[in-house]
Formats: sequence, structure tokens, C-alpha cells
Amino acid sequence: MFFLTYLRRELRRRMRQAIVIALGLALGVGLVVTVAAASAGVNKAQSGVLSALYGVGTDITVTGNTPPAHYSSCARQPCSIGGGKQPSTSTQPSTNGPTLQISPSGGAQICDNGHCVNAAGHTYDRLVPPYQEPVSASTVAAVARLHDVAAATGVLTLVDSAITYPANPAGSPQLATFTVDGVATGHTPVGPLADATVSSGRFFTAADSHAGVAVVDSGYAASNNLRVGSAITIRQVRFTIIGIVTQPQSSSPPDVYIPLARAQTLATLTKDLGGSVGNSVNLIYVAAASAADIPAVQREVSALLPHDIVTAAGSLASQVTGSLSDAAKLASDLGRWVSVLVLIAAFAVASLLTMAAVARRSAEFGTLKALGWRTRRIIAQVLGESLAMGIAGAAAGTGLGFAGAAIIATVAPTLSATAPSSTIGSMQQVVQAGGTALGNRAVVVPLSPSVTIGVISLAVLLAVAGGLLAGAFGAWRIARLRPADALAQVA
Amino acid sequence: MYKLTGVTKLYQKGRRTVPAITGLDLVIGDGEWLAVQGRTGHGKSTLLNLLGALDRPTEGKIELDGTDLGALREHQLTGLRASKIGFIFQTFNLIPTLSAAENVEAALIPLGVSRAGQRRRTAGALDAVGLGNRAAHLPSELSGGQQQRVAIARALVKGPTVVLADEPTGNLDEDTRDGIIALLEKLWRERGLTLVLVTHDTSIACRAQRVGVMNNGHLTIRQDSPNR
Repeated sequence: MFFLTYLRRELRRRMRQAIVIALGLALGVGLVVTVAAASAGVNKAQSGVLSALYGVGTDITVTGNTPPAHYSSCARQPCSIGGGKQPSTSTQPSTNGPTLQISPSGGAQICDNGHCVNAAGHTYDRLVPPYQEPVSASTVAAVARLHDVAAATGVLTLVDSAITYPANPAGSPQLATFTVDGVATGHTPVGPLADATVSSGRFFTAADSHAGVAVVDSGYAASNNLRVGSAITIRQVRFTIIGIVTQPQSSSPPDVYIPLARAQTLATLTKDLGGSVGNSVNLIYVAAASAADIPAVQREVSALLPHDIVTAAGSLASQVTGSLSDAAKLASDLGRWVSVLVLIAAFAVASLLTMAAVARRSAEFGTLKALGWRTRRIIAQVLGESLAMGIAGAAAGTGLGFAGAAIIATVAPTLSATAPSSTIGSMQQVVQAGGTALGNRAVVVPLSPSVTIGVISLAVLLAVAGGLLAGAFGAWRIARLRPADALAQVA
Repeated sequence: MYKLTGVTKLYQKGRRTVPAITGLDLVIGDGEWLAVQGRTGHGKSTLLNLLGALDRPTEGKIELDGTDLGALREHQLTGLRASKIGFIFQTFNLIPTLSAAENVEAALIPLGVSRAGQRRRTAGALDAVGLGNRAAHLPSELSGGQQQRVAIARALVKGPTVVLADEPTGNLDEDTRDGIIALLEKLWRERGLTLVLVTHDTSIACRAQRVGVMNNGHLTIRQDSPNR
């Protein structure tokens, strides 16, 4: 009781100094909170970009190696796309299918088993895995069994390309493409559907593994007027839509998801590679047991699949460029150091003012020692005052931090990120770009600074530490104070 | 009872060693009032600091009730000051942010007295110095004489056996001075205190049982007062 009364009265007496110390700490802490909030926002944006490329929860991806040059003619260039004549209700498409060729007269023609017809008035549909070589599905199980791997799932990412030639030879052919992911139908914590939410209908269940059902991305569904119960044709085969899903804002999801087994059955490779995709996938999503295990998992997977491309999210993050990357560098470098410098300045000011206050109060402390107060009791009193100023600084600093984060959220421009092409995202981009380019991919993300409980705790901790540090300097001075000397100063 | 034997106190001022007290032998009996006079810088306050366990002698021995103060550790000296010795200063040394009652209570904090005990003893001490009705006033709201009365109450509230007063009337006018000295004398008589009072004022010193004069670190007992 006496402790609190004395503390309160002393702070009131030295109100101006207390305010200066608390404001100094608040300024430093506020800056730390603002920078941390901005940094968290940037990290969140980066995560959004990475999840757009990888999927939420995915630490590592495995893709097939770049195929030989003769394969790329199919994957990169839609000119080699072949397919059936017209959509049918058949559930078993032909293997390797017809091909599109140039007729002796110079027009397009479709040839199947040596029989060629003019392409005019026909649609040629083909489903192919783009670019990367397939990976045997059995390797997914092998990866999942690796030590430190929490989950792994294989996906067959495909591109459905359909060229419709008008009946009038003078007309231009129309190209329509969409991406199809063949996914595991059971629940998996990783994969392209891990972060999706069902806006209509349902997800796949294990019973759907060989069913002609599809889940469609909400954006694709909206642009093509699709809904649950509608049918969608993929390489001549009709699939019933059982769900519409929404992916995170910054992601570029596939358009259609179908059961993996059906995708493997439907997909074909070029004749050069021969045969159907069979029991293959072309992307493996891997989640490590913990963040600390990611490097080890990456090494283990690389050792298991020496010919495939193993990429960790962290290494991909370092390849993200653009204003998002600049903002991340700004937050992590300049922001961090400015915060540290301001904090040091605030701590120094608080310490100097506290020491000066102790010097001015030496007669008071000398008197208390003469009254029989132990040094530690006097130190506790001074530390209590410093702690109170630290808490006030923490409260004000947190408020300043919220204000700073709000200002950043208001004035910060939308960030853009450019991600490298050696990922699944680039496969989808091939489709989005009409299958003609494999350049980098730009993603636009909003910067939303977020003040988390962790940041607030850090702010309180820093301000209290600053207050206690200042108090510790005062305490050191008090401990060295001899009562006779202190009283002699008064005399 | 104080017993000082061959007490010397030296101070280091740069490279020079300055003797404040040299070879002092002195006995102060229980319940005795000793006044110490002398010019500024001749060791009066040093003697008071040594008697009050605020400082340690360079040489010699100081015993209080048979206990060698030089042999005690710092926290033991602190405990001794808390329980046995009351200080009264020329500048009152009240804590400006605390009320009169809280200043008096401050002397009871080291003794671990209960809250109720603190209130009771504080009220009694303030009543004893005639300030029972000014308990809630801050030092700045009190006159110099009233502030010194609060300081006297603070010195006496813990029931000490020794009171050390360093020019307690040095900052007071003549009328107030007489009132304070009369109060101290009354309390000394009533409570059987051992009172060591440093003063420049001969009229005050004459009221003590013995008067010693400090001169260049040596104490000479000059007078045995009628009070003795």
C-alpha cells in the first residue's frame, strides 16, 4: 500500500519526466509494432503468393524434370494438340487419339489410324500434362514414408485444349483451354484443395475416386455459367459438377478438379513419349512435420528422387521479386534497423533521465537509508516507478503501433510479386497465356498490416524491458549511494 | 550506551587524506543529552554519522549497548538504524510527495509494522508533536517548524533509544527554535532518550547535560549542564 502510494505520488511529482520517458518508449515500441505489423502483412502477402504457387501447408514440391526437346513441342505449342472429333458421352476415350495435321492442300485435317478428315466444323480436344515429365505415383507413397514428412499427395496437372474449326474455311479457329487437376479424393492436409472452401455442393469423398464427377473453381464456374449438377466435358468425357470451390484471393487455382484416377485415365502424352500417363502424377505436394524439418525433408526427397526437381517454399520465396519483394526487404532491413535505433535511443533517454532523477533524489534515498530502509527496498521503489513508466509506454506504443499499421494499410499501394516459372503456377500460366509462353508469373496482392497478439506481447515486453533497464541504471546508482554522502550533499 | 574508543575517521580528497575525527574517546550514557558544538568542517556531522551507523570509522571502535558497530554487516547496521536510532536533520528531509502521516509511517516500513499498528503509532507520534490535525498535509503545506515537528515524530515513532539531531533548529526562526527545543527536551525527559544534538547555538547547547566542542577532529567536553 505504502509502496503504491509513494510510487503514484512520485510519478505525479515528476509527471513531465515520466511522460517524456513513457513517450520515448512508446515511440520506439510503436515503431517496432508498426514495422512488425507491416512485416507481418508482407509475410502474409508472400505466403499468399507462395500458396498460390504451392498450396497452403505445402513446404516442398516435387515436379518432374524438364522433358527432352521433342516433348516440349506438344506441351508448349497448341499447334500439336490432337483429340476427338466431337464431345461424346463415351467414358473411354481413345488412347493417344487422333492428331492434327496439315493436309496436302494446306488446310487442317484430323487423322486417326491413317484416316484423315477436314477439320472444318470439328472440335479437337486433347488433355495433356504440360511441360514436366511425369513422376510415378508410387513415389508419392515413398515420399510420404520419409522421416519428418507429415503428409504428401500427388497431383496430375493437365491442360485441356480444344480447337474449334468453323465450318466456313475462311473463319478463324477458336482455342479454348482450361486447367484440370487430378487430385486424391480422400482428405489430405496438403494439395491444391487444402485451402479451398466449398461455396456450393461438396468436396470429393473417397467413394468418388473413379467417378465421373468434378469440382470447379468458383471463378471458372462463374465465367462459364456452371453450377452444381451441370456437366463439363473434359477430353470428350462428361463430368458432373458436384462442388464449386473458392480459393484464397491471391492464388491462381486450376479451373477444374477431377479424381486423380480419372485424370490419369484421360490424360495422354505425345506419341514421342508414348502411352498414357497411366499411374503417374506430375506434382507432389509435401508437408514437413515442422518448419525445422524442411531442409532435412528436402535432402531426403532429393536423395529419393535424384532426377526430379525438389523445391522448398523458402527457396521459392527468395525468388519472388517485384514491389512485394522490395517491401519485404524494406520491412526486414530498413524497418528493423530504424526500430532498433529508435528503441536504443528511447532506452538511452529513459536510462539517462532515470539516473538524473536518482541523482536529484539522492538526499531522499539517503534519508530513507538513515530511516533503516534496505537498499533493495529503495531499488524496488525506483524499479516500480520505471516499470509503471514502461507499462504506460507499452500502452501508448501499442496504440501508436495500431495507428501506424492503420496508416500503412490506408496509404500503402497494392503490391505485386513476380514468381519464377519453374513451378506448378507456371504450368497453369501456360494455359492462361494460351500455351505460348513460360515466362515469370505476376501476382497482385494487397498489403494488410496486422497487429497480432505476439506483436503486442513483444511491444509490452520491450517497453517493460526499457523501463526496467532504465530503472536498473538508477538501481545501480542507488546501490552505490552511501547514506552519509547522500546526507552530506543536503548539508 | 555509546562507547567510542580511539575513533579516527579519514576522508580521501583526491590525493590528500583529510582527518575528520582523530583518536576520539567518548562515552555517552543511556538517557544522556550531549550537545556538540564547533565550527563548520571540524567533524560534528562526521561524529553524528558514525554514531548513527551511517558511516564506519577508519580506526577505532564504536560500541552501542555493547555491540561493536564496525563488526556489523551493512544489513545489520540498516536494521540497527531502523529500530534503535532516530535522525533529525537541519533541512527536515521530509519526502515532499508524502503527507505528514505518510512521512512518519515511512520510518515504520522497515520494521514490518502492521497497517493498523502504523496508523496508531503514527497518530500517536503526530499528537505528541502537536500535529495531530495536520496529518494529511504535505510538507509544502506546513511551516518550517511544523515540518521539523513531523521530522521529530518520524524519528520517535519507532521508539528509538537514541536520537541524533543535526542542527535541528538551524533553519528556524527564534520562536520556532525555542518551541522545537522545548519539544525535544520534553520528549527526551519523557522517553529517557539518549540525545546527541549538534548545534551552533550556545543557548541550545547550554540546555544539554554535557556540551562537547569539536575542533579539528578532537572533542573537548566543556560543560556539565544543570540538566545532568
